Amino acid sequence: MSSLLKMFKPKTKAQTTTLFAWALIAPAALVMFWIVVWPLYETFRLSFTNANLGTLMSGSDYIGWENYEKVLGGRKFPAIVGRTFYWMFLSVGFKMILGLIGAALLASNIRARGVIRALVMPPWIVPIAIGCFGWLWMYNGHFGLLSNFAEMAGITDGPFSFLAYKQSAFYSAVVTDVWIGTPMVTLFFLAAMQGVPKDLYEAAYVDGASRWYRFRRITLPQIMPTIVSMALLSAIWTFNSFEIIWILTEGGPRGATTTLIIDTFKTAIFSYKFGAGATRAVLVVLILGVFSVIYLTVLGRLSKKYSYSGAQK
Amino acid sequence: MKNIKKALFLAFIGAGLMAPVQAEEVHMIMCGGEIREADQVVIAAFEAKYSGVTVNAEALPWGTCQDKSMTLAAAGDPAGLAYMGSRTLKQLARSGLIVPVTIPEDQQEMYQPGILNTVSDGGKTWGFPHAFSTKALFINCGLVEEAGLACVAPKTWTGMYNMAKAINDNTSAAGVGITGKDFDNTMHQFLNYLYSNGGTVNDAATGEITFNSPETIETLEFYGKLATVAQEGPLGYERSQLVQLYNDGQIGMYIDGPWGAGSHNANISEIVVPIPAGPSGSSGTLLITDSIAVFKGSANEDLAMELASMLSSGEAQYDLDMSWGLTPIMQYEKMMDDVYYDTDYWQTFVAPIGSGGPEPMFEDFKALQAGINGAIQGMILGDGSAADLVAEAAEILAEGN
Repeated sequence: MSSLLKMFKPKTKAQTTTLFAWALIAPAALVMFWIVVWPLYETFRLSFTNANLGTLMSGSDYIGWENYEKVLGGRKFPAIVGRTFYWMFLSVGFKMILGLIGAALLASNIRARGVIRALVMPPWIVPIAIGCFGWLWMYNGHFGLLSNFAEMAGITDGPFSFLAYKQSAFYSAVVTDVWIGTPMVTLFFLAAMQGVPKDLYEAAYVDGASRWYRFRRITLPQIMPTIVSMALLSAIWTFNSFEIIWILTEGGPRGATTTLIIDTFKTAIFSYKFGAGATRAVLVVLILGVFSVIYLTVLGRLSKKYSYSGAQK
Repeated sequence: MKNIKKALFLAFIGAGLMAPVQAEEVHMIMCGGEIREADQVVIAAFEAKYSGVTVNAEALPWGTCQDKSMTLAAAGDPAGLAYMGSRTLKQLARSGLIVPVTIPEDQQEMYQPGILNTVSDGGKTWGFPHAFSTKALFINCGLVEEAGLACVAPKTWTGMYNMAKAINDNTSAAGVGITGKDFDNTMHQFLNYLYSNGGTVNDAATGEITFNSPETIETLEFYGKLATVAQEGPLGYERSQLVQLYNDGQIGMYIDGPWGAGSHNANISEIVVPIPAGPSGSSGTLLITDSIAVFKGSANEDLAMELASMLSSGEAQYDLDMSWGLTPIMQYEKMMDDVYYDTDYWQTFVAPIGSGGPEPMFEDFKALQAGINGAIQGMILGDGSAADLVAEAAEILAEGN
């Protein structure tokens, strides 16, 4: 025992430091292993089995690639993947644009700025489920506000149930997602804008640069790292967004709002097909992983190019 | 230190003495969001009979209740018993999560025809039937007369459509309320029409899917035709929301159970009539039961079985049916002289029992709902022909059977 301890006893100061660092990291690493690595491994393992409600007592069987073949060979899967990316690009795009506009307005020297900044927060502060139920009511055809306003304004000639038709249900879900997600983007952009050195604006102002020119050539390049980070985070969150769609439409009507995460939930939890659901979850991880790498590479290049040209001018 | 040791010692002794008299608990899940008074009386009687036993009765809304019961069982922490839709029983039974129940022979003979079929699979009975409903068509006579028609029962689909169209064209209300939301009662509404047109979902004896038939196609086409004179956006509605529209005078008619009259505004002048017959069948109805299942491996399985039996037997069951306004699950007229359903209103719901069709039992009961609702939604949205949609639904049903 003592010889074993001697073997691992640090001999140099550097080794002592390394060992100490590992000792500090160990508890967190163990927790991470328990809550991240192990479930991930289990998901991968399940994806190769026929686990369902019926196999819980008898035990599931290894079925190789069968689940993957079924999912990837199915008619619906390509449409669901396409819809998920469309949902993500549309929603993230709007959040970025509105967030940028909102942050620029909130950063400007306007009256009651503090109050207006506080008013931006509610969609983010209100629990998502409560916000969604509010929207659910507003989208109702017979009792909802939006239908009533549209009718009064002469846009529709009668009640209109926004969640009862494929296209309107999809875009209604996007609107709700944008409403919930924009405040956080706005606040992050605002924080980044406030960190831009004032002397850059003063110098540009003295040189006669217009407001738009200063925004384009100073603000945007300076906050580009924040935009890139927020865009990626927002993309991942939106891709995996579950509660908004589930509360509003449960993925309907007729699958029009079924994204990958909704499909995964419906299969694994709703229909108790744990193996097939795990397969979808693994595919979500793979798709998001590949997407993130491509996205970061492209945006990183764009960011460098944009910042460089901005600095040159 | 000595005192602390003494206190700990006494605590251990105390805990040891308390353990044998600690109350046993039976966890009961009740779908529907409330524990009815008639059931509460039985629970109180059960607790009085078994002193030291408490019933933890948890009422949950239908939307989440069955999933919770099944997930708890799947996770190895089952409730003792749960009141759920009988359509879940086959899946639970085949998954080994519930135990078969024994209903005394004299009680079996009391049930209405077809009731026990809704809780049986593989020659065993998997739940105590506890609630039963048949359906009929409620018609708002005020709107019918405003449309210039006499308020008399339409006997056929053609008559029903013409009445709905007249209301739709001549009043501010929609002709009929139909459901299209991805909810179980959308499927139920459709099955009422299907059984009134001679259609079936599967062969009860062999389990073979018989959904893809000319009768089903005809029914789906009719449902699509009804959508043209129905409230705006049927896909946004399930049955309980139609009640609101009906009470607001926004729809002329809709299908509901015998409790319907009690949920309608008193100022609505209405008639309740059997579901009109389709061109290929005669008036029918869907026979739905909810039942009490006993889960395998709960802490007090025997007590759970006893409670389930008490809740669903004789007088207790009669009190529930009467107070809730359900179609009588048993032929109580054999037990007593005066029964609550001896009225014209009730005969509309009782008479079709013999000719009704069951809610089919599927191993994957959610596939049943997904398949049929998919076809209904597709028809209303114009996603394809009735024949294609029915064929697609039949494929989904075959997978889940």
